[in-house]
Amino acid sequence: MADKSMVNREFPPFTWEVERGKIRELVQAIGDKNPIYLKREEAVKAGYKDTPASPTFITVPMMWTNILIDVIKAVKINYAKVLHGEESYEYIQEIYPGDVLTGKIKVISIDEKSGKSGSMDLIRLETLYTNQRNEQVLKASTLLVERK
Amino acid sequence: MAAELFFQDINVGDEIPMLVKKPVNKVQLVRYAGASGDFNPLHTDPEAGKAAGIGQIAHGMLIMGFVAEAVTNWVPKIYLRKFTVRFAGMTRPDDVITVTGRVTEKKQDSGSDIVKGELLAKNQKDETVIAGFFEAALPDKK
Repeated sequence: MADKSMVNREFPPFTWEVERGKIRELVQAIGDKNPIYLKREEAVKAGYKDTPASPTFITVPMMWTNILIDVIKAVKINYAKVLHGEESYEYIQEIYPGDVLTGKIKVISIDEKSGKSGSMDLIRLETLYTNQRNEQVLKASTLLVERK
Repeated sequence: MAAELFFQDINVGDEIPMLVKKPVNKVQLVRYAGASGDFNPLHTDPEAGKAAGIGQIAHGMLIMGFVAEAVTNWVPKIYLRKFTVRFAGMTRPDDVITVTGRVTEKKQDSGSDIVKGELLAKNQKDETVIAGFFEAALPDKK
């Protein structure tokens, strides 16, 4: 059982500098050929300041900083049994190469649910990202499911 | 590059262009692990998948990336305001994912022209792997 005393816990902020190559690597792994992510001039032509981060890019700081693994350990759930249930984004501003993001992650809720495949714990996290100008850029909501 | 899209051009019920992805392959999963930083061996090591009792499965976030690709092939990314997915099923190597979507609502709200829609990613067996939702703020035709 996940540690319910962790509800409302905020974790120390984590930071991540956005690199152009990392934006490109992610869309290339996905197979998304939209040139705005690959070529600066195409991005500018389409109304961006530079090659923007793609819609699911924010997973990169989440995973590469290991913050998600830290949270999973802190709420005492078994990483090997965790599945991703939901992911939700609210886009406030574009994210560009050179931006330094700060993420603040909070445990919103921990619930137990029984279904046809047994019982599970549902852990809802929210992360707010700001940039180097302290402007909000993105809000993320993540639902983790721990199978029992 | 998506063509310019205006609020007036869109109607409830409009379908977004269907996106049929190439089969998910194991090299792609390794690439996605490296790009995203999600090194859970469940996604790249068949033995780890077996040990977990579910077999090797793709990163859910990779499939969310497919859905994002379909949406932003239609509505320029700069207009996208919200994007939500529920992971409804697992994707395995060699699965072929098809993304579809349609506009469910149009509204003018405090100076913004908002379009909402639903999204589905299905595999070759017609099983839903992602059910999602998007919201975009579109420009007005002058």
